[in-house]
Amino acid sequence: MGSAASASAPPPPPPVQPHGAAPPYGVGLAGILPPKPDGDEKKEEKVDYLNLPCPVAYEEIQREALMSLKPELFEGLRFDFTKMLSQKFALSHSVLMGSLEVPSQSADVIKVPTAQYEFGANFIDLPQLMLIGRLMTDGRLNARVKCDLTENLALKVNAQLTSEPHYSQGMFNFDYKGTDYRAQFQIGNNAFYGANYIQSVTPNLSMGTEIFWLGQQRKSGIGFNSRYNTDKMVGTLQVASTGIVALSYVQKVSEKVSLATDFMYNHMSRDVTSSVGYDYILRQCRLRGKIDSNGVVAAYLEERLNMGVNFLLSAEIDHAKKNYKFGFGMTVGE
Amino acid sequence: MASAAADAAQSSAASAARLAREWSTWAMKKSEKMVISFARIKPRKKKKKAKVVAHYGFIPLVVLVGMRSEPRPSLAQLLSPV
Repeated sequence: MGSAASASAPPPPPPVQPHGAAPPYGVGLAGILPPKPDGDEKKEEKVDYLNLPCPVAYEEIQREALMSLKPELFEGLRFDFTKMLSQKFALSHSVLMGSLEVPSQSADVIKVPTAQYEFGANFIDLPQLMLIGRLMTDGRLNARVKCDLTENLALKVNAQLTSEPHYSQGMFNFDYKGTDYRAQFQIGNNAFYGANYIQSVTPNLSMGTEIFWLGQQRKSGIGFNSRYNTDKMVGTLQVASTGIVALSYVQKVSEKVSLATDFMYNHMSRDVTSSVGYDYILRQCRLRGKIDSNGVVAAYLEERLNMGVNFLLSAEIDHAKKNYKFGFGMTVGE
Repeated sequence: MASAAADAAQSSAASAARLAREWSTWAMKKSEKMVISFARIKPRKKKKKAKVVAHYGFIPLVVLVGMRSEPRPSLAQLLSPV
């Protein structure tokens, strides 16, 4: 039905907007549909289901919620220096002196004071090639490669290589981007294979599924997720056969303020976590704060002192476990 | 004066093209040798060697690609802390 209507009429040139209202679905769609008479816009915009936008990648459907609710909290001193040698090539030096948490079986929190220096090299030549490497003093290498093999097919490699044997991990992803869908195939170490697919169902809603197989432990799983977004809000839902249900909702209250909340339920361990947070993006600083259902309060401030100089403050307070993490740092360079 | 500048530009472009050809044939010969020696090793040791090569060679590879991209940064810029 939709295809007959849009194939028969030759597309008119994009109409001058006499009503002064922006078309909600983009200029391309306005070029295909005939111009509307006055006063009828909101009700009669017909969705062209053959011209939907490309959805966000499967692993990024929660990116707004993650950006607002999960800043990189740290403890101790952090200093980053990035030196741009050219538009595409940069070297970075990063020092971290503080405590790192060691996961422990008991309820106690074990912290190990460490000091580490990390050297990084970035070569970013979008859209063809992106190479990012980070090497730490303990010999760990963190490598990310993104390469566009053709216009629609991209290869992403993500690897953490360590000097100790059997601790290295690597993952190869092949991404295919269609007109209104994306498909991805993953191969990882320990015989991990995964595939996922996400499709735009309406201009605001996209749904996807994924399936993975872990060779070493002979486990497989299937998951389903969907994302609904408008200009003002993003809501996502994720369900996986590993027993995880995750929901998130981000509302953009104004240009400078967004509020986010997320909810995660783990059926296997009967663990429920929910958090609410805010994200203020102001001219000179970015402030994010959140509170958790476990009673953890966290905040992260990035203040721009000068061109290219940022001051960081990070805090996380957990009274129940008596875990207090405060950090400060500075980032120099673009 | 304009034609002399154009001539100089042309000859430098020609020499750059010649250099690029020489470099690429040299690189191809070297990589052929490496691939043949790599194909002779057993599979498990191959994985270990590939991991070691990636571990030591990735950062130098990024630096090499970055130093050869336009505009070319100089070695002094690479090594100086400012």
